[in-house]
Amino acid sequence: MQFFNDMALLFTRYNSFFTEGIRNTLIIAAFSVLIGTVLGTLMAMMRMSRILPLRLLATAYIEFIRGTPLMVQLMFIFYGLPMIGVTFPEISFIPDFSRFAAGIVAMSINSCAYVAEIIRSGIQAVDSGQMEAARSIGYSHWQAMAYVVLPQAVRNILPALGNEFVTMIKESSIVSVIGIADLMFRTRDVIAVTYRTMASLAIVALIYFCMTFLGGRLIAWMERRMSHGKG
Amino acid sequence: MERDEFLQIRGLCKSFHGTEVLKNITTSFVRNEVVSIIGPSGGGKSTFLRCLNLLETPTAGSVIFDGVDICAKKKDINLHRQKMGMVFQQFNLFNNVNVLHNLIDAPIRIKKTPRDQALEKAVGLLERVGMAERAESYPYELSGGQKQRVAIVRALMMDPEVMLFDEPTSALDPEMIGEVLDVMKNLAEEGMTMIVVTHEMRFAREVSSRTIFLDGGRIEEDKPSHELFDHPESPRLVSFLNKVL
Repeated sequence: MQFFNDMALLFTRYNSFFTEGIRNTLIIAAFSVLIGTVLGTLMAMMRMSRILPLRLLATAYIEFIRGTPLMVQLMFIFYGLPMIGVTFPEISFIPDFSRFAAGIVAMSINSCAYVAEIIRSGIQAVDSGQMEAARSIGYSHWQAMAYVVLPQAVRNILPALGNEFVTMIKESSIVSVIGIADLMFRTRDVIAVTYRTMASLAIVALIYFCMTFLGGRLIAWMERRMSHGKG
Repeated sequence: MERDEFLQIRGLCKSFHGTEVLKNITTSFVRNEVVSIIGPSGGGKSTFLRCLNLLETPTAGSVIFDGVDICAKKKDINLHRQKMGMVFQQFNLFNNVNVLHNLIDAPIRIKKTPRDQALEKAVGLLERVGMAERAESYPYELSGGQKQRVAIVRALMMDPEVMLFDEPTSALDPEMIGEVLDVMKNLAEEGMTMIVVTHEMRFAREVSSRTIFLDGGRIEEDKPSHELFDHPESPRLVSFLNKVL
């Protein structure tokens, strides 16, 4: 019982720490997924391109990013790039912009590879007969894509993309190692001040769970709405 | 009247990964004729049909349609495909839209047919195949036979010069084969040029004017249907007919 009291006490007293952390975590996850989706779409198109060099490049990128830890990628961007003269600028009215930029860039690069695979498999899951039928009545390849294949692929892609967003919320905790004041970082602050390690971690676990669980429900709900009336 | 060989196939070859599926096929089709293509599975029937509208790219040879070699580079194949309707074994209706949109979208988008004109045509054709009341249905709500009748209408919407049928009844439950064959029979009687890959020997014999027996990637026999069925010459055809009839 004492433990739960501790948790409640910590949560109310350090409320501002947790709220700031949640806000930053969501900002990073949202931007990363957004940028990752745009880049991932392009990457998926390259991956399925008829031009061999593009296809090879995209395949190599996707395999490499998926095969290395996000932590390493993040360190490369934040510590490595400045060493070769690439720095993120500071913007006066956004505090800590360069850190955030590095975090978002690393997460986007990472997300891009996963999103590309989601989109590719979503498109390839559409029966090839659909494309053939569209071509056979005179649609061009791109018309067939736009009118027939993609509308069906979107129904495979969106749920998986939602899951990717949920994953990003969890994975983004890693940016705390480069000093971004996300939820995990702020939790460590609370631990440093109070020495209540277990209670603090329990709180943060609960918060992460709430975010991912709600996110998951939201996606499931959207999925149901989309499949309404379709076979 | 001069024989209008509007579709000529010259020296058509097709290989998949070194396996020769079609070996130097030469034949031609005239307007208003109904041709059945029969033969054992793996004999190249479907591949042959799919080479006609270049769903498969021939390895060698040419397909000359309305005097144009459509295999030549820089030919607008999309334009030619509009004039060659195709019906698939697996129907391949567009799953994301209802029957009506399956029919009218392509004419409106590709041929710039006015919407009301396309609608009128779609409703008229649906009536003729007995599907008028299912215009708002989605493909998954239809039976196989209904899907195939809609698929035939979808191809007809583009006013094709020739209709290609790729085993149109092979994926159907037996009780639904008749309804699709009836539609095809009507189409034939109206003078549509049809090339039909089929296992329905009765259709080949009674509806089509000419039958091609394709085996081992070669045309083994190509004759008026009655002649081919009543007086088969090649031993392969004789043994094939013995098995299926």
